[in-house]
Amino acid sequence: MKNRIRVLRAEHDMTQEQLAEFVGVTRNTIISMEKNKYCPSLKLAYRIARLFGVGIDDVFTYEEEIDGPSGDDE
Amino acid sequence: MKRLTYLTCSLIVACMVAAMVGWSMAAGNFLVPVVAIPLGIIVILACRAQVDIVMADEREKRIRSKAALRTLEVVVIGGAIAAIILYSFVVSIPLSPIITGKLFLNDDGTQSMTIAEYKPGSVPGPQTLVRSNTIKNLNAMNETEAMTYCTYVREGFSENENRGLAGTVIGCGLAALLATFGVFYLYYNRKY
Repeated sequence: MKNRIRVLRAEHDMTQEQLAEFVGVTRNTIISMEKNKYCPSLKLAYRIARLFGVGIDDVFTYEEEIDGPSGDDE
Repeated sequence: MKRLTYLTCSLIVACMVAAMVGWSMAAGNFLVPVVAIPLGIIVILACRAQVDIVMADEREKRIRSKAALRTLEVVVIGGAIAAIILYSFVVSIPLSPIITGKLFLNDDGTQSMTIAEYKPGSVPGPQTLVRSNTIKNLNAMNETEAMTYCTYVREGFSENENRGLAGTVIGCGLAALLATFGVFYLYYNRKY
């Protein structure tokens, strides 16, 4: 799963710490997501998309090759 | 409250509860743990409620569950191997010490007996002898000799039996661990 969190965060002039606080996760989770190491749960994905005021497809792009721990089962 | 403050508070409370429980056990007072343990849990939970940052999010939970599962797999496989190896000392003949008893007819007509213990899996001989004891007159053995005679075999096998006991304890511990895992697995399987 690829994402545009870093770009959207820059557009909204937001730090990783602030984004983490807004969506209720740790800064490490934001860092992992930006590095495409961690796939967030649907709940978190929607929370991030809504925070930036865009659709979930505008933040996340599904790619089968990238593998990592997923939060989908949360 | 920050995470570090919460962890420090929890550690202090845990140390205090452990000290109180330890002291009460030594003093034979069983009322203190009944009060101290729930009180400690309440204090820790109250501290946790004051934490204003995210303690564990979905990624943290995911990492913990993966780490726990891997730990369980490694412990179960490693523990099962260790338990089998340790218990094999009890049931394996080559791993058990060789204990022999030889009767001799003395010149005065009495019988003497030499009990000898040899190294496990070895050919009995002077090189492999661990210890030996001779009862000079088998028909008139004194109390010490009788005790030696009775406990010789038991002492010879005690090391192997201790290993077997350790293997049994590990095996039972693993069974309990797997049973607990099974209970939680069924619980969450029904829940989700």
